[in-house]
Amino acid sequence: MLKIKDIHKSFGKNEILKGVDLSIDKGDVVVILGPSGSGKTTLLRCINFLETADSGKATFGDLQVDLHDASKKDIHTIRQKTAFVFQNYNLFNNKTAIENVTEGLIIGRKIPKAEANNIGKKALDKVGLSDKYDSYPSLLSGGQQQRVGIARAVALNPDIILFDEPTSALDPELVGEVLTVMKNIANEGTTMLVVTHEMSFAKDVANRVIFMDGGVVVEEGTPHDIFVSPKEERTKKFLKRVLPEDYTFYI
Amino acid sequence: MSEGLNYTFLIDTFFIALSGVPITLLVTIVALLFALPLGFLLALTRINQVPILNWFSRIYVSFVRGTPIIIQIFIVYASVPLILSLFFEKYNININVYNINPIWYAFIVFSFSTTAILIEVFRSALSTVNKGQLEAAQSVGLSNFQAYRRIVIPQALVVAMPNICTATVNLIKATSLGYAMSLQEITLKAKVAANVGYNYVEAYIDIFLVYIILCSLVEYGFKLYEKRLRRYKYVSA
Repeated sequence: MLKIKDIHKSFGKNEILKGVDLSIDKGDVVVILGPSGSGKTTLLRCINFLETADSGKATFGDLQVDLHDASKKDIHTIRQKTAFVFQNYNLFNNKTAIENVTEGLIIGRKIPKAEANNIGKKALDKVGLSDKYDSYPSLLSGGQQQRVGIARAVALNPDIILFDEPTSALDPELVGEVLTVMKNIANEGTTMLVVTHEMSFAKDVANRVIFMDGGVVVEEGTPHDIFVSPKEERTKKFLKRVLPEDYTFYI
Repeated sequence: MSEGLNYTFLIDTFFIALSGVPITLLVTIVALLFALPLGFLLALTRINQVPILNWFSRIYVSFVRGTPIIIQIFIVYASVPLILSLFFEKYNININVYNINPIWYAFIVFSFSTTAILIEVFRSALSTVNKGQLEAAQSVGLSNFQAYRRIVIPQALVVAMPNICTATVNLIKATSLGYAMSLQEITLKAKVAANVGYNYVEAYIDIFLVYIILCSLVEYGFKLYEKRLRRYKYVSA
């Protein structure tokens, strides 16, 4: 459904993506792991044209685009097919929870307001915020804000939802509620591409795990392949650093 | 040999000063109508680093901000007629440049100086709305224009409001310098009235009162508007 071919991106002299290929089928939950600075977020942002790649091709269904110089129309089409969940939520602070969710429907997709409100309420119910329709983001906790962010993405009914470290900015005790919501929508068959540091999510929910380092895909496979029998030395090293059972030092 | 305040004159002149308010307000409003959109657009060129325009607005701000308004008035009031008379002569337009109402010069000076102030006001206000919200708006399918109009500007405006209010009040007060080019505003009218019987203290008190009433009303209006704009901010984010 989504294929990315040979994507390159540099910021100044700093080459972040050095030719990444990616292929996602409908219903896949793909998790991208990797140390910070390995290009995971940049990859996601290039797919949604929040950054312009230096080169690379993308295929969405039967739509082919060049990631470097896509037309405005193609960018709009791809943004209609995708939704983005941000690390820092990026809710519209001047809009209530329900308005945050319906903004893209009413303005971006020209759906009538009443219908958009219904979709929006359903999306907020799904993430467990039935009692917060009319709350402004400043009155919500981080976890609640991120759940609104997820509802905003879900309501658009996209072909794929891109999650950019959705729990990294949250207090540890709020991570769980967001992961539960993500698990639920994954179980409904939503196609997801998730950059995260939550190993439990990668293990339990993903059907494919990609390990990136230094701007390239080092290894990919099922969660079992990656976590139990990694082949590459870099993957092993990374897992050793991040997996709790391998902590060998105490304070 | 002090005779105390001339109260009759004080009261009469108060109304004379008050009759200058429409001119003061007209200059203020015209300057704001010109400066608000232009200041906003030039602030955008600074934030988005638009080539040439960005450079232009920076120099423009430092020139206007770095010179006293009275000097700007003298320059415009002295140079524009010269340029215009050359222009009129060349094209045989039969207008005497010295009959032009000074209010036109006031429009020019105050529009340009307020633009410079508002560029800086909007620049700081726009940078308080994090770029992520703009990205989120784009990712849900809003165009840049829609994202600015619906998401960024409403929030930037709340932040800018106190400074826009200050700029407006400063502008109202600065129009008093219009007396230097015989603009028939509050200060000039009261001073002219005072010239007759040397009742300067009374005239100054009247000017003082008129400005303080006018500015307080404007401030109050801004406060109400700001309250309405910031209803989404129950707690600071």
